[in-house]
Amino acid sequence: MTKDASQDAISAVLDDVAATLACLDGDDAAAISDLANRLALLTGEIEAPAQREMVARAGKKLRKVADGTAKVPSESLAAARRLVAAATGCPALEGEVSGTVEAEVDDAGAWEPNPGSATEPESFDGAPNSSTSSEAPSVSTTGDTAVVETPADALDNDPELVHEFVSEAHEYLTAAERALLVLEATPDDRPAIDTVFRAFHTVKGVAAVLGFSQIAELAHRAESLLIPVREGKARFGTGYANLALRAVDMIRSLVERAGVMAQGVPLSIPGGYAPLMAALDAPVGPDEAPTPGARVDPNEHEPVEKAPAPADAPPGAASTAETWVRVRTDRLDQLMDIVGELVIAQAMLSSDGLLASEHGRELSRKVALAGKTVRELHDLSLALRMVPLRGTFQKMARVVRDTARRVGRHVEFTTDGEETEIDRKLVDALADPLVHMVRNAVDHGIEPADDRVASGKPAGGTVRMRAYHAGGNVMVELSDDGRGLDKDKLVARAIEKGLVEPGATLSEQEAFQLIFEPGFSTAKTVTDVSGRGVGMDVVRRAIESLSGRVDIASTPGRGTTFMVRIPLTLAITDGMLVRVGAERYIVPTANIRITLRPDASSLKTVSGRGELVVLRGEAIPMFRLGRVFGVPGAVDDPTQGLVVIVGEEHSCSALLVDDLLGKQQVVTKSLGGFIGRVPGVSGGAILGDGRVGLIVDPDALIALARQAA
Amino acid sequence: MSDTTRESNDRTGLGGKYLTFSLGAEDYAISILKVQEIIGMMDVTMVPSVPAYVRGVINLRGKIVPVIDLRARFDMDRAELTDETCIIVVDGPVGEIGVVVDRVSEVLDILGRDIDPPPTFGSSVTTAYLLGIGKAGGRVQLVLDIERVLGGDSADLTGLGGVL
Repeated sequence: MTKDASQDAISAVLDDVAATLACLDGDDAAAISDLANRLALLTGEIEAPAQREMVARAGKKLRKVADGTAKVPSESLAAARRLVAAATGCPALEGEVSGTVEAEVDDAGAWEPNPGSATEPESFDGAPNSSTSSEAPSVSTTGDTAVVETPADALDNDPELVHEFVSEAHEYLTAAERALLVLEATPDDRPAIDTVFRAFHTVKGVAAVLGFSQIAELAHRAESLLIPVREGKARFGTGYANLALRAVDMIRSLVERAGVMAQGVPLSIPGGYAPLMAALDAPVGPDEAPTPGARVDPNEHEPVEKAPAPADAPPGAASTAETWVRVRTDRLDQLMDIVGELVIAQAMLSSDGLLASEHGRELSRKVALAGKTVRELHDLSLALRMVPLRGTFQKMARVVRDTARRVGRHVEFTTDGEETEIDRKLVDALADPLVHMVRNAVDHGIEPADDRVASGKPAGGTVRMRAYHAGGNVMVELSDDGRGLDKDKLVARAIEKGLVEPGATLSEQEAFQLIFEPGFSTAKTVTDVSGRGVGMDVVRRAIESLSGRVDIASTPGRGTTFMVRIPLTLAITDGMLVRVGAERYIVPTANIRITLRPDASSLKTVSGRGELVVLRGEAIPMFRLGRVFGVPGAVDDPTQGLVVIVGEEHSCSALLVDDLLGKQQVVTKSLGGFIGRVPGVSGGAILGDGRVGLIVDPDALIALARQAA
Repeated sequence: MSDTTRESNDRTGLGGKYLTFSLGAEDYAISILKVQEIIGMMDVTMVPSVPAYVRGVINLRGKIVPVIDLRARFDMDRAELTDETCIIVVDGPVGEIGVVVDRVSEVLDILGRDIDPPPTFGSSVTTAYLLGIGKAGGRVQLVLDIERVLGGDSADLTGLGGVL
C-alpha cells in the first residue's frame, strides 16, 4: 500500500481486521500478533488523526496481548475490538466516535462479553435484546456439548413438521453458503446478499415457530451481523465471510441435531455455539450502536425483516419453473425392486413357447406392446435415482476457499456441467475423494503468488471442475493451472522410496500414476492441509471401489488435470454372462479386454501347476473360475472352454469359463447381511429366467486365486 | 399345574402356535411368528466361500435371499430332493433367510405346560439350538431357537440328529 492509499482501501483493511478480531480465539498469539502488525502498518497510511490514534492504540493493545504483557488479555482484546470497530466508522464521525470510545474503553469488559467465556450472551447488557430472547434458554457449556433446556413445545413437535424444516433449512443454508462465496468475490452483489438474508430469516422464523430457540437466536444474530453490509455501511470482507460461513455451519449442525432429536429429548448444543454467538455480536460499527443494546432493538429490525422476498418461495424458485416432490429413498428403492421384477416377469412371458405357436400370434403382439411399456417404466425408474452434481460442486467451492485461505493462496474456482446427473448413491461416495483432490490441487498444484508471477502467470491461480457424460460414464475433471507434474522428479522420488527399481523406464502416464502409490508424497514440507503421504492412494482406492478410474494429464509449468471416470450408476452393470458347470456368472464388460478359445499351442504350464495363455507373444496367467469358486462339472480341458482376458494392459489375467452366454445388463443387488461379503463376488443379479447370477469382481477374484495357488 | 417346572415354562411364554416340519424321522417346531412364508424348492445359485450348510441364494420376488440347509446345519446326511422338499422363509436376525426342510407338516398349538426344557446329553450332543421339547399332535416336537440356528454361532451341532 502507498501513502496515498484511498480511504476505501484503509476501510477495507479495517473491516477485515474487525471481523477477524471478532472470530479470534484469545489464545491464538500468532494471529493476534499478525493483526497487531497489520494495524501498526496501517497507522502510517491514515491521515485522519482521530482514526490514526484509535488504530495505533488498538495495535498496541493487541501487541501486549500477543506478547503476554497485558494484565487482563480478554479486556485488552475487547478494547482493541471496540477501537477497531470505532475506527471503521465514517471519518466524518470521528470526533463523536472518539468520545464514545474513550468512555467505553474506560470500563472495558463491562458491557461486552469475553469471547471465550460468554455463556449468557443475551443478558450482558441487562436489557431484553430481541423478540426471541424471552424464550432463549440458558446455555451451560460443559465439555464439547451443552445440554439446553428446550422449551416444552419443541419436544412434542410433529415429526413431519420437523422433517420438513430440516430439509427446507438444508436447502436455504446451501443457497446461503453459495451466495456467501459469491459475495466474497463480488461484495456488491445485491441478489446474493438478499439470498443470505432470506435464508437466515426463514430459518429463524420456522425455528422459532417449532420452538428451537437456539437456532432462531443464532440465525437472528447472523442476520444482524450482515445488516451493515446490506445497508452499504460496511464492506463485505473476508472476516464477515468467515463469520457468516461459521454461522451457516453451526446452524446446519444444529438443524441436523434437531432432525435426529428423539421425541422428548432436549437439543444438544455443540461446544462452539456460545463463542460463535458472542463473536456474532462483536463486529458492529459504532454508528449502529450509539448506546449498548440499541442495535438489537426489535424496531430497528423491522425494515430488514420486511425487505426480503416472500419467505415461502424456495431458493431459486424464480429461475426455474420445475416443481419438486420429496420422496423417501426406501420407497424409491422398493419401486426399483418391483420394476426389476416386472421386467423379469415380462421376459419370462415373452419367451413362453405358447407365443410362437399357431394360436399365439395375437397374444404375442399384445405381449410385445406390454414389453415396450415395461422397458419405458424401467428406464424411468432408473432415472429417478439420478441427481445433479450441483451439491458436490458447491461443497468443492467451499473447500477451495477454505484451503486457499489456510495455505495463503489466491485461487479462483470455476465449474462447468454442474447439472450433470449421477446416481444418488454415488454422489456422497464421490465427494470424499474429490475433496482430497481439490485440496491437493490448491495446496500442491497452485504455486505461491511470487513463483507464479516470476514464471509469467497471473498471481491468482485457477482451479476448474468440469463434469459431463461420456457413454455410460460420468467424467469429472479437475484442472489447475499450477506447476504441473514433473515426470523425472516423480520417478526420482519413487526410486528413493523404493517403489520403482532404479533404471526402470516408465511412460508418462505410469510416472503420473505413482502419486497414487501409498506413502508417496511430492511435497517437501508437511502441511496440515495435505502432503502427509496419505491421501492420493486413498483417493484412488475410493474411486476404484466405485468401479471408476483416475487418469492424469499434466504439462510442467502449465498445470495438471485429473480425470475421474465413474459409471453413471452402480445399480446397473453391463456384463458378459458366462457359464461354469451348472452355474452362471456375470463378468462386468468394463473389465473384459478380449475373449477367445485357446488352442493347445498357446497353453503353457509353469512348474506343472501355474497355467499360462500366450496371447500375441504375451504370457498371461490363467485361472479356472470353476476351480476358484469350487463349481462341480466345469470343463477340464481349456481348449473346450473359453478364456476371458481381464485387467489392465501388462497386468491382465485370463479366466477360464465353459461358455459365453451373451451380453446382459443387470441390476446389481446385495447378497444380504447373512452372507455378507464374498471374496471375488461384488453382488448378485436376477437373470432373465428369474434365477440369481453372481457378479464377479475380477480383481478380487484373481487376488483370491493367487492366494490359493 | 402343580409341577413347578411346567409353571416356569409357561411363564417364559413358549406356548403358542408352531409350524411343524420334519427332517428325516425327526419332528421340529418353529414359532409361527418367525415364519414369513413357505415356498416350494427352487433352483438355488451356489455361492463360493461360505459354510457348507449355506446352499446359496434364491430370487424371492426380486430380492436375493440366502438359503440354508438345515440337515447340513445339524450335520445330518444330505437327503434327495422330493416333491415335499420346501423352503421356509423366516425373519432372521439379518433379514429374510430360507431354510430347506424335508417336509412341512402343519400348524399346531403347543401349550406352555406341554413344553419341557431341553434335555442334556453331555458333551457329545448339543441342545443349544433347542428352546424345549414339546408334546403335541401325539408326537414329540423339537422346538427350535431359529435365531441361534441362523446366528452363525459356531457351536458344534454334531449329533443333534441322533437325539431321539
